[in-house]
Amino acid sequence: MTTMNKSDPNKQGWEQSDFPIVCETCLGENPYMRMTRQGYGRECKICTRPFTIFRWQPGKNMRYKKTEICQSCAKLKNACQTCMLDLEFGLPVQVRDRILNVSEDVPQSDVNREYFMQNAEKRLENGESYHDYSRADSAARETLKRMARKQPYYARNRAQLCSFFAKGECTRGDTCPYRHEMPKTEDEELAKQNFKDRYYGNNDPVANRMLNRLGEKNATSSLQPPADPTVTTLFLVGVTPDISQADLRQHFYVFGEIDSVVLSHAKKCAFVNFSFGRLTIKDALLKVAWGRPRKQGPQSELKQSGGGKDNQGSPVAQMPLPPGAANAKASYTSQDPTLLGSSRS
Amino acid sequence: MPKIKTSRTRQPPEGWDDIEPTLEDFAQKMREAENDPHEGKRKTEALWPIFRLHHQRSRYVYELYYKRKAISRELYDYCLKQGFADGNLIAKWKRGGYEKLCCLRCIQSKDTNFGTACICRVPKNKLEEDRVVECVHCGCRGCSSGD
Repeated sequence: MTTMNKSDPNKQGWEQSDFPIVCETCLGENPYMRMTRQGYGRECKICTRPFTIFRWQPGKNMRYKKTEICQSCAKLKNACQTCMLDLEFGLPVQVRDRILNVSEDVPQSDVNREYFMQNAEKRLENGESYHDYSRADSAARETLKRMARKQPYYARNRAQLCSFFAKGECTRGDTCPYRHEMPKTEDEELAKQNFKDRYYGNNDPVANRMLNRLGEKNATSSLQPPADPTVTTLFLVGVTPDISQADLRQHFYVFGEIDSVVLSHAKKCAFVNFSFGRLTIKDALLKVAWGRPRKQGPQSELKQSGGGKDNQGSPVAQMPLPPGAANAKASYTSQDPTLLGSSRS
Repeated sequence: MPKIKTSRTRQPPEGWDDIEPTLEDFAQKMREAENDPHEGKRKTEALWPIFRLHHQRSRYVYELYYKRKAISRELYDYCLKQGFADGNLIAKWKRGGYEKLCCLRCIQSKDTNFGTACICRVPKNKLEEDRVVECVHCGCRGCSSGD
């Protein structure tokens, strides 16, 4: 907790704390660990005010970690004091802010920043958090949750690579505390990270990459029919040698008449050519086009539309529903707007 | 031989002539270690040879007097007084559990963050398998009595 040192005006805003604000990954696997604490040990990498340094080893063969930014700076962005990733999702600040559509301009020049921090600290002292991220848009939160790791990623705490080993001249051998692995040829972009960019959330190469990937995923996640109606070929990747042409035909004939199947086991891929647009059934030429998806109605309607008998026979239908699920079914016709015709299905 | 000879310097005790060449040898090696260039060494590594020689020399005098009983009490005291052996280190060697102690810094628990002794004091069977340790104080690779 930041204590205002009233006696010495030069020491105002210096931070004295009992416990760091760090994420689970940074703390490491072991629940029993020891930390060293050094009051006013170093200046904050963001606001350049002295703060309390905590230092600990997050497990065996891991490198020592320490707090890098002060607690007021960490609270402002709801970020870990060490890795500067979001405390809730473990994602870069830039990714979180972009998806939640939060823009907070912490002033970067000296006096403005100090004034801003002073005001922010007053608010933090009153117990209110600076941003209420839990009140954010639920769809955005869902996206963040999907992007976040489910388990803490401890490999992040591993020792740094031994640069001498990479050059082939490490004389320390087994006693070397650094990792003896050859560095992978990584993106030059990712090598250009710094504390300030990551904290303020601009030009963070990791965040840029994640956002790019998210954009690509959104573009390709649902298999949209192509704009060009003459494209009637499906491309399959990952075809194992035991899949034959007949298997593919058997699987895909239900979707329409197949012109040809081209299968290449050497390249593990296959093309299925449909004869769309000129489908003939019983000598009648039928026109084929993409249908618009029908809106999924509630359970009661689906049961009425013919599937009722099959459901009764299946073992799943005879199982008692879980306690919460009983309410999900509409008990009266009036509870289901799709049955009354008030809502378009 | 005393380090500084004056006209009032007394004659060394009986048996000095037998151990003098070895001690002289150690002194020579120590001088070499002192003048060794530090280039290419880590900061902690620089003093390791000094610590090792200091240990060896004290060990030599200790063994002569306490184990082999080859020198007299007077000569032993003379060696300690002239700085050929470290009396404090030898005092530790006489105690149980410290028989192989590498240096006095490694048991100085006040110098460590969590009030512990050095990593080299940990028995090999208590460490993880195949972990090689080299302590930062003197480069010791393990001086527990059980090893």
